[in-house]
Amino acid sequence: MDRIPARLDQALLERFRQAVGCGWVLTDPDQLRTYECDGLTGWRAVPLAVVLPSRTEEVVQVVRICHENGIPFVARGSGTGLSGGALPVEDGIVIGLSRMREVLRLDPDNERVVVQPGVPNLEVSRVVAPFGYLYAPDPSSQRVCSIGGNVAENSGGAHCLKYGFTTNHVVAVTLVTPEGEVAHLGSAVPDSPGYDLLGVVVGSEGTLGIVTEVTLRVVPIPPRVQTLLAAFPSTDAAGEAVAQIIAAGVLPAAIEMMDRATIEAVEFAMHAGYPDCGAALLVELDGPASECQALFGQVVEICRSCGSSEVRVAEDEAQRALLWKGRRGAFSAMGRVSPDYYVQDGVVPRSQLARVLSGIRELEVRHGLKVANVFHAGDGNLHPLILYDRRSPEGPERAKRLAEDILSLCLEAGGSLTGEHGVGRDKVCQMPKLFSPRDQMVMHLVRRAFDPAGTANPGKVLPTPRLCGEHPGIYRPHPLERSGALQRL
Amino acid sequence: MTGLEADLEALVGADSILPAADGAEGATPPYTVRPKSAEALAEVLALADSRRLAVLVRGGGSKSGWGRAPSRCDLVIETTALNRLLEHEPGDLTCVAEAGLTLGGLQRLVGSAPGHHQQLMLDPPQGGGATLGGLVATAASGPLRARYGTPRDLLLGARFALADGTLARTGGKVVKNVAGYDLDKLLTGSQGTLAVIVEVALRLHPVAPATRWVVAEGLDPRTAQAALVALRRAPVVLSMAELLWPEGKMLVRLDGAVSACGEQAEIVRALLPGSRVAGESEAEELARMIEMRPWDGEGPVLGVSVPLTRIGELVTVAEAGGPVAQLSLRGTVGAGEVRLREGADLAQLTARVTALGGFLAWHRSPGRDAPPLRPEDPVAARLALAVKRALDPHLTLAPGRGPE
Ligand SMILES: Cc1cc2nc3c(=O)[nH]c(=O)nc-3n(C[C@H](O)[C@H](O)[C@H](O)COP(=O)(O)OP(=O)(O)OC[C@H]3O[C@@H](n4cnc5c(N)ncnc54)[C@H](O)[C@@H]3O)c2cc1C
Repeated sequence: MDRIPARLDQALLERFRQAVGCGWVLTDPDQLRTYECDGLTGWRAVPLAVVLPSRTEEVVQVVRICHENGIPFVARGSGTGLSGGALPVEDGIVIGLSRMREVLRLDPDNERVVVQPGVPNLEVSRVVAPFGYLYAPDPSSQRVCSIGGNVAENSGGAHCLKYGFTTNHVVAVTLVTPEGEVAHLGSAVPDSPGYDLLGVVVGSEGTLGIVTEVTLRVVPIPPRVQTLLAAFPSTDAAGEAVAQIIAAGVLPAAIEMMDRATIEAVEFAMHAGYPDCGAALLVELDGPASECQALFGQVVEICRSCGSSEVRVAEDEAQRALLWKGRRGAFSAMGRVSPDYYVQDGVVPRSQLARVLSGIRELEVRHGLKVANVFHAGDGNLHPLILYDRRSPEGPERAKRLAEDILSLCLEAGGSLTGEHGVGRDKVCQMPKLFSPRDQMVMHLVRRAFDPAGTANPGKVLPTPRLCGEHPGIYRPHPLERSGALQRL
Repeated sequence: MTGLEADLEALVGADSILPAADGAEGATPPYTVRPKSAEALAEVLALADSRRLAVLVRGGGSKSGWGRAPSRCDLVIETTALNRLLEHEPGDLTCVAEAGLTLGGLQRLVGSAPGHHQQLMLDPPQGGGATLGGLVATAASGPLRARYGTPRDLLLGARFALADGTLARTGGKVVKNVAGYDLDKLLTGSQGTLAVIVEVALRLHPVAPATRWVVAEGLDPRTAQAALVALRRAPVVLSMAELLWPEGKMLVRLDGAVSACGEQAEIVRALLPGSRVAGESEAEELARMIEMRPWDGEGPVLGVSVPLTRIGELVTVAEAGGPVAQLSLRGTVGAGEVRLREGADLAQLTARVTALGGFLAWHRSPGRDAPPLRPEDPVAARLALAVKRALDPHLTLAPGRGPE
């Protein structure tokens, strides 16, 4: 890594300008500062420059310049990521994909759409809606976040419970490799030959190259949607209802949970008219009317038997929108009741929800901070919002420790470090909690196969001693490393 | 006793070393080893790797003809002694099993949890005796793909051994997880060329209380294509929509709540010209028919896939008298299998499928050699090779079958 120039000299900047056009290379400190963080604002770094290509060929040229000169680069979509994935590196550049926002091909008859990476998630559903289709993965940030970012994070959303995650809906990508070559991975038609490299690129957080074109699968708009909000005395009762719904074999399109703290914040901020209760479940069923009807009765029954005092059923689209309004706006509502908050993203087996939620309550008391829970309960993906005040002494430090303890709780229950926000910079040093040094080494090997020089989004996803400190005793060199065939990051 | 045999015996014990295999893989290997633990398997691999021996992994052997025959084979490692179900949490609809457990064995074990009726929703050809590791490695699936996808969609995590004996994990056992690279996808369909899968975590689904079949006969290519368009847009959830050619049949299966199933079957019937809702007594026979086709009969079987809008044309290729003896196609996916007629011109079929924008993949190919696992795109092929060399630098695992 010693080839990295401390600053970009004029000659290099000139080459970037030639690649993308004069106005699309930003070096002004004020402009650079708008790129210094993503949605996880606690991590900041100002890049040497921001380069904004408009076509695959331009991305190729920019990446080649980086490759030839050992300049690290960080791809950036809309910057809504919550794990610091798009956090710049100080001795590198940011490659922003926001100018690449064209829908390239609509092929509803084959249930496919081809888009550039900067297209916002919701735009895909908008353009296929007239043909009766929608793009299923629906992160709460869908108005803003880009398809490229979704691919990089393997993003989820409320309706992924039934429809699957981004990886189940991306069938092909054009990837500019970290060495500046163009690879076509996957295909619009199923079962293309060779290893499933596409499957590895999805969720790789910009560390294996830059995605410049994405072919998506779209699904028919469901003929019927039924939504209910059930009020429970406690998160334990609501958690039990979730476990029973899943165990009964009912597969709703979405099951979202909100606890008392969230409901109160949402009521304060946007008056969604939620009931006053210990926890609420938002359950949505979709599909053929006959199937919805049959399952809806079952869901209502389970909620009642688990202690739900009130079940509200949306009678029309307006009422449905109102029920969702509070859920979709929950993060921003939290901003109105607490000066700062940190969104944790952990996963637990669904049968463990109630147990882990009560564990979180114990941690709240122990750390003396409030936690609001609003999350994708159906697939066990927790989003505890840790409320704190960064100006209070120790505030941020306590929040960080509480967040880590919650994660440990998830892992002890057999879960995962992250369900949809990714590892990024935020959790890179926590990877060893889930993956052994050997597991990580295999990931390193795959990373090096794509990026031998280590210029693509360095410092993200996989821990290194430089980032996380040496952990004597944990690390064991891989045989290839010992033989000198591979070098450690 | 040779030096190798003595060393293998020291690692796994004499009772784990079997007589020479039948050579179905193209070469007759001197030894077949059936390790009793993942650790023993990893040690055998490490030994083979250090001596530059070529290793072939074998599960139930049901798909040993799939993929290109390796150029060398000195040792076969069989996974069938790793056959335990390690975890089954019915409330989570997930399970963890050793890779040598057969699909049939898994279905019996997870299907018998009291108070639950769950299955792994995968119905690959000759599936009962296939091992879970083998199914993941071949990415094999069947008609249920229409609703539940392929092993790619059902695999939550895996433990595997690299050629040098490194045992590692990827993924987890929860249904949602984005921590680290998704190496599950890399293992899926890698045909034993990247690593030996020793353990898998899988997503299960509940078995619906009711099933209905709708049978359409006498379809021509045009009506079949139109019917599929209508079906995809209809307010129904299809578990299967199998197009059988040259018979001109479509078999549709619906699973769900009792009341919903009947109603949806009527909707399907109304959309499919010349169709009827099958009686309950026929269900078993229909299921069998689907399972056997197009495997029952002589001749090579290839996987085939085309864009949804070209299914009518593919079906025309499969009309009587052409190169195809039988076609079974997942009508809402555009993927399935063809069995070739005796002496059929493969080059001509390949040309026609390629012209439709589709792919052919070798499954059962007596007497012919399948192409190696290599993407068409040259840069993707280079990346695939780099991955292969990174994980298996001495080309120990099924040499010649991968992208090298
Ligand atoms: C209010 C709010 C709600 C959210 N809700 C959800 C939710 O429900 N579900 C969910 O999953 N996430 C959610 N997120 C997180 C975030 O929106 C997603 O991770 C999203 O996919 C990020 O997209 P982006 O375009 O903003 O990517 P960025 O933040 O710009 O980048 C994210 C990562 O992708 C890489 N990247 C971006 N573009 C490319 C490309 N073209 N090629 C290669 N790599 C690229 C970056 O390097 C970085 O590592 C939420 C965020 C916010 C702020």
